[in-house]
Amino acid sequence: MTISSSIRFRHLIWLAPLGAVLALAAFGPASSSRGVDPGARAQLMLGRSLVLNHDCGGCHGGADPGAPGWLAGMTRPEQEFLIGPCAFNTSAKPCFHTRPRNLTPDNATGLGRFSERQIFNALRFGLRPEDTPDVSITSMTQGKGNFPLHPHYLAPPMPWPGWRYMSDAELRAVAAYLKRGLKPVANKVPDSEGPPDFWASEYTVDKIGRYPAPAFPTTNEMEPK
Amino acid sequence: MPRQLRVVRKSLGLTLLTLLASSAFLRASAPARHWPSAGRFAGVSADTLTMPVVLKNISTVPGTVEVNLSAGPARLALLPGHVTNAYAYNGSVPGPTLEVHEGDHVIIHFHNDLPEPTTIHWHGLHIPAAMDGSPLRPIGAGKRYDYVFTIPRGSAGTYWYHPHPDVRTGYQMAMGLFGAIIVRDPKDPLPASLPEKLLVLSDNRFKPDGSPDISDPNSTQGEIDQENGREGNVLLVNGQLSPVINIRSGETQRWRVINVSAARIYRLAIPGQTLLHVGDDGGLFERPREVNDILLANSERLELLVRGTRPPGSRASLQTLPYDRYDPHTRPESWDVARDLLSLRYVDASSQPSPALPSRMRTVVPIDTTHVLHHRVLVLSQGLINGRTMDMNRVDIRSRLGATEIWQIENVVTMDHPFHLHGFQFQILDRDGVPEPYRSWKDVVNVRKHQTVRVVVRFDDFPGKWMFHCHILDHEDHGMMGILEIQPPRPRRKS
Repeated sequence: MTISSSIRFRHLIWLAPLGAVLALAAFGPASSSRGVDPGARAQLMLGRSLVLNHDCGGCHGGADPGAPGWLAGMTRPEQEFLIGPCAFNTSAKPCFHTRPRNLTPDNATGLGRFSERQIFNALRFGLRPEDTPDVSITSMTQGKGNFPLHPHYLAPPMPWPGWRYMSDAELRAVAAYLKRGLKPVANKVPDSEGPPDFWASEYTVDKIGRYPAPAFPTTNEMEPK
Repeated sequence: MPRQLRVVRKSLGLTLLTLLASSAFLRASAPARHWPSAGRFAGVSADTLTMPVVLKNISTVPGTVEVNLSAGPARLALLPGHVTNAYAYNGSVPGPTLEVHEGDHVIIHFHNDLPEPTTIHWHGLHIPAAMDGSPLRPIGAGKRYDYVFTIPRGSAGTYWYHPHPDVRTGYQMAMGLFGAIIVRDPKDPLPASLPEKLLVLSDNRFKPDGSPDISDPNSTQGEIDQENGREGNVLLVNGQLSPVINIRSGETQRWRVINVSAARIYRLAIPGQTLLHVGDDGGLFERPREVNDILLANSERLELLVRGTRPPGSRASLQTLPYDRYDPHTRPESWDVARDLLSLRYVDASSQPSPALPSRMRTVVPIDTTHVLHHRVLVLSQGLINGRTMDMNRVDIRSRLGATEIWQIENVVTMDHPFHLHGFQFQILDRDGVPEPYRSWKDVVNVRKHQTVRVVVRFDDFPGKWMFHCHILDHEDHGMMGILEIQPPRPRRKS
């Protein structure tokens, strides 16, 4: 099997047009639960769509929202990732085992004790919620605007460097869905390993690009004719 | 997605990302997951363990202990054999021991000779907030302050004192500022004839000249220290390397042990024999506990009865056994190695029969939980309590005098956090729902990785602002701390 075919096909769903997502959110089935602010429900539905079309479950558990273990994190050792030269040679070092965590709002094993803002900061900036204060971050410079002086990043291959370009509203919707749209499931996933800098040397602007993205059109782009 | 990483999902046995230019691995393999060897400092010393001097009481009034205590620069050997610049209380490390009795009125004339502000926190003592030495009340360089308080009845036990200035606690303690407090009970249930030893356990990391090696926070080691807490490779007992305690065969000794290390958690054992664990932070238990080994988190204390079970001429070691308190990102490579702390040397047979030990030592009255004013949840994550860092101008928890509270302390990360509450000792109810097997008075509880501990506390006295924090000094200095304010009772309405 070639290397390129190793990327599981479901990851292609990342490319689903956002427009379709927004349409789903806007025209999804009306709320059946009484007393729920329709705006809040629409936000959760947007979050659910984004979670589906970004294939969060592909790593974090469950084939679909109705399947057991939906977003409750890995349950089998073979679902973890090996980061480092050991990807090719199992005895090579360093070798970091990283593990898709439980995204359900369970207090002890999931995201229950993290705020929606901490989840937002994880998706926008890649910052581990347990290591990053629950504050609004207004800068991308370390030590400024509440951006940590020594940022601790989520373990790879969590693809936040791409997903951070979602809008504020979209990322908030994902956080809202994870915190308020899911039932808590107790599933303790062992913590990911990593280098002592918590991947800071991997997530530099040189390597992952700028946020926000440069204005259109750059030298590689053009206005439609 | 990080393009420089090679990643494979084991279930597929395939690479998800394949770009190879892996500066990542050079970076990742270089930093010190490797723990520096203590070999250079591991020379065995034949010195017998010496006790820190006791602070001289200058008062002649019965029931009053009045002492002079200064903190200042000193030239001494933090690492035996290497005289360097250090900080010291009254010129010695550990500082002199404050020995008092329950009910004593204590006056400490403190002089800060340091070139920087400091405080003295009387760790574990139940005394007024103004006397607690919290970072809210710094004592400037060159200034004096009288700490005045009364030792509560029923508080006999082992405590300690140390600096607690904002942000600089770890530095000042690494430089040598710490000392023991022993509160004695005239009616101590343990026989007075038991030889008593005080063991102040510290660790440190040194430069070649013997001065404390304190890493640049922006270096790799500095980042590791911020994560793990600054853990030293040199283990000292009362400032001594591998000292010796002489014991007679058949003798029982009473040891008071204090962990003043910045971050290290000791798992104490004397291989080949059990220990009688008789007390912890707030003094004696109701009954002794027979244990093989015992965890002592930083800032905790314990009392042990050590029985001389071997024949004259034999030796034994007090060791710290491996204990994994670490996050996997920064776990030192040699964490799983047992380390010797001191040797026990059996000198001869005891001529006296060992005195009988009481099976019941005292009553530890449970805190009444029928009227709990507040149940609170405190979430400990890495460097944060409830998602926040310390703000000296913020009050995190408000309560009232007389309130009984249950605090559910949840550690949501893969690293132990020893949680300390100033001013009030509490009782542990349960850990992960398992009732605590014995009752004691605690001011520190080590909340293990992903553990939930419930404690009950009663604010019976002393309104004011009190700190609660992780006692890994680097975590504390970086803001893993909050403020509890206890307000006086509401004024009664006049009818």
